[in-house]
Amino acid sequence: MSKLIVAEGFMQEHEVKGYFEILRESVIRSRSTMTAVFFKLANSSQGTDIERIQVNHQISAFLKSKIRKTDLLFQLADGVHWGIFFLQSSEVEVKAFLKRIFAILKQEREYQQIALKASITEIRNNSVNFETLLEKNKQKLADGEQPTWSIEQVTDYSVQPMEQVKVSIIEQNEIFRKVLETTINHLDIPHFNLEVATYEDGYSFLQSDSYKTGHMHLVVMNDILPRKNGLEILHILREMPNEKKFIIYMMSERNSEGATLNAYEGGVDEFIVKPFNLRLLEAKIRRTFARFWL
Amino acid sequence: MIELSISFLLTAIVVFLVILFLFAIYLLFQHQREIRFSNTRDTFLQNHSQHWYNYLMNDEIFSVVLVPRGRAQVAAIEKIFSSYLKNIMDEKVEHKIKEFSNLYLKKFYEKDLSSKRWSIRMNALYRIADFQIDELLDTCQQFEKDKISEGEYFQLLKIYSTFQPELFIEKIKESSVNYSESEYRRLFVLLEDDVFIRLFEEFDSWNKNIQLASIDTAAVKRNMQYIDKLKQLLTHEVSEIKIRALKGLYEIGVIDEIDPYVPFVKSDMWEVRLMVAKIFKHVPLNYTYAYLELLLEDENWWVRSQAAKTMAENREGIAKLQQFMESSNDQYAIEMAQETVVRRQGIK
Repeated sequence: MSKLIVAEGFMQEHEVKGYFEILRESVIRSRSTMTAVFFKLANSSQGTDIERIQVNHQISAFLKSKIRKTDLLFQLADGVHWGIFFLQSSEVEVKAFLKRIFAILKQEREYQQIALKASITEIRNNSVNFETLLEKNKQKLADGEQPTWSIEQVTDYSVQPMEQVKVSIIEQNEIFRKVLETTINHLDIPHFNLEVATYEDGYSFLQSDSYKTGHMHLVVMNDILPRKNGLEILHILREMPNEKKFIIYMMSERNSEGATLNAYEGGVDEFIVKPFNLRLLEAKIRRTFARFWL
Repeated sequence: MIELSISFLLTAIVVFLVILFLFAIYLLFQHQREIRFSNTRDTFLQNHSQHWYNYLMNDEIFSVVLVPRGRAQVAAIEKIFSSYLKNIMDEKVEHKIKEFSNLYLKKFYEKDLSSKRWSIRMNALYRIADFQIDELLDTCQQFEKDKISEGEYFQLLKIYSTFQPELFIEKIKESSVNYSESEYRRLFVLLEDDVFIRLFEEFDSWNKNIQLASIDTAAVKRNMQYIDKLKQLLTHEVSEIKIRALKGLYEIGVIDEIDPYVPFVKSDMWEVRLMVAKIFKHVPLNYTYAYLELLLEDENWWVRSQAAKTMAENREGIAKLQQFMESSNDQYAIEMAQETVVRRQGIK
């Protein structure tokens, strides 16, 4: 039985578990993908103990020198696996990283006795726990069939959860209000579920209290509205403590720089001059939501 | 004393009561008619708004249920079309509305044009222009021969400007009516670029209101091809035209050379100097600093204020203003510079 080799100054498996749980929850809250990579020595049983200790230290030092400050590097308790959590990074970026470091390891003479294989898990939901994650990746790297320098993938956690978004349309013209409602209802935005409500004036929107919930809230409104106008609503929403949850689109008949500037300075996210193309509105909404997940 | 017999009085009362009764019946009938009209219109809107959406936006095939039966349904369709045209810009939708109106609404508006009521005729003229019912152009020309009001003629000009620009220019030339500047602007803004250019090229042949309206329209259209013509107007003898041309050039916002504007820095009219100070916003500060310094020391408050604002909008503007405050002897100019610097720093 070979001796366990654990590099010093490294985070260990039991220490990382707590961090992982926090990171996993922040994936959902901040809507940013995290990707886990696990490495295993492809030739771990070869060589003497001393040689293996040397290789082990060399790998640890090499990986440490290549990661960013936001990445979390650790070694597993068995001594032959390493893991890195790449925060705010998708599988694509991590694959590029792996290709880069594998190329260096293959090229440089000092690393000639090192041969690795890796396994990637993109994490976009919180249904994974640390033990299962380790288990699945270890399984991927377990048998000797995968060639050296191969990159395996665990895809079980790469689908983000469906998020509920409230959409409020505030428009006085009944026909156009229905047009907007139908258009937005037909919009299929991956991973977001739009719940559309319509209001004919500003006051009824404010009375509805729907804007007080914690959901992300898209407000599509006219600048001029009966009872409470759009600019007043904009001001009220932007004064709220959790104003960041509002995405505010303002529609206006005024095509002047002054009006546009005023609206943007007041806090709108998009200012759309009427008449406009509905496809443009759809495209803008799609882009707005596409920016939410890395 | 006038003597009236009881029987005469009774007869008069009965006659009045009968008239009153008939009048009440008439009012009731009219009221019922109006209610029926709005009910039919609202039911059509309720039942067919979605069909219209599917036809106009989703390319669904045309259905006969969309064809109006009676005035109330025409009113409903007017409401739908107006809402779409006012809020949505889509060539396909505009084309479908045009096609439909030429086919199914034409006969209604044709009849409306011969109505005795001015409001009905005006409504028809508005709809013909909005829904692009070009098949009624001949009818409109016939209509022009009748005795029509100024408002109707103005609306006719709008129709000509979209359906037959040649005719529009002809009518403008021969027109005996002299419209206000803003009315001309409303007409010109609808013109296609090539027609407007022709109108703009014949600048000197127009009356003053048309001239001023065409300069303002060129500015609103923000088209670079009007820059040369506007520059030519800078040498015009009428100072109002000069000021408007400067304003137009400022609005378009593309200043390719400053030489044509430099002489205006020393113009006798403060409005001209003000416009130059505005125009220099669109030119890098190192080309204009010397002139802006002069304008900052201008005798007019508006000019000084604009010169300071123009400088402050530049990245190095604040530093330049501070430098100016140290070197200038003009107390008014220094105060203006100081005020602008404080305001700008307040914003940041």
